[in-house]
Amino acid sequence: MRRYEVMVILDPELEEKTVSPSLEAFLNVIRQDGGKVDKVDIWGRRRFAFEINKKQEGIYAVLDLTSSATAVAELDRQLNLNESVMRTKVVRPEARSAK
Amino acid sequence: MPRKQVQQSRTGKSSAPKNLKPMKMKACPFCKKEIAYIDYKDINLLRKYISDRGKIRARRVTGNCTRHQRDVASAVKNAREMALLPYTTSTR
Repeated sequence: MRRYEVMVILDPELEEKTVSPSLEAFLNVIRQDGGKVDKVDIWGRRRFAFEINKKQEGIYAVLDLTSSATAVAELDRQLNLNESVMRTKVVRPEARSAK
Repeated sequence: MPRKQVQQSRTGKSSAPKNLKPMKMKACPFCKKEIAYIDYKDINLLRKYISDRGKIRARRVTGNCTRHQRDVASAVKNAREMALLPYTTSTR
């Protein structure tokens, strides 16, 4: 089990109220695997530094997880399959200091 | 070793030795504050390490140590992937 941080950019055409329930649905993958969701931080709409998919803004969300590597990989895969997810990034903040 | 010899021979001339002394490196700001992890989400911090055209500043400008310069660079690159920072900004 390790700590992970997943940043997700969602389609700006999505209703902002629907963001947290849809993220919860994705996070079931982690919970079923025995992982823990430490924090879900929804930044809301934010302008991009450059255009992505002909869009100027997106809905940002940051998920803090404690989970196994396979569960995070599966979450990332499922997020990328979804049409309304524009980009994802998984980082392990403690990767270096743990050494 | 050859560097030292050059210094000695030049300082021997005694004319403007100040310019010939090796530049003293500033202490790395991240080592000073003992920051272990540079967050790619901290855009305000990373803004200081990119030029106004969006390029990553060189180590001789930032004064970072090798390790922290690498961390800054990868944080900037991560931030760029998430459209938090620009790849380039053409101001002209």
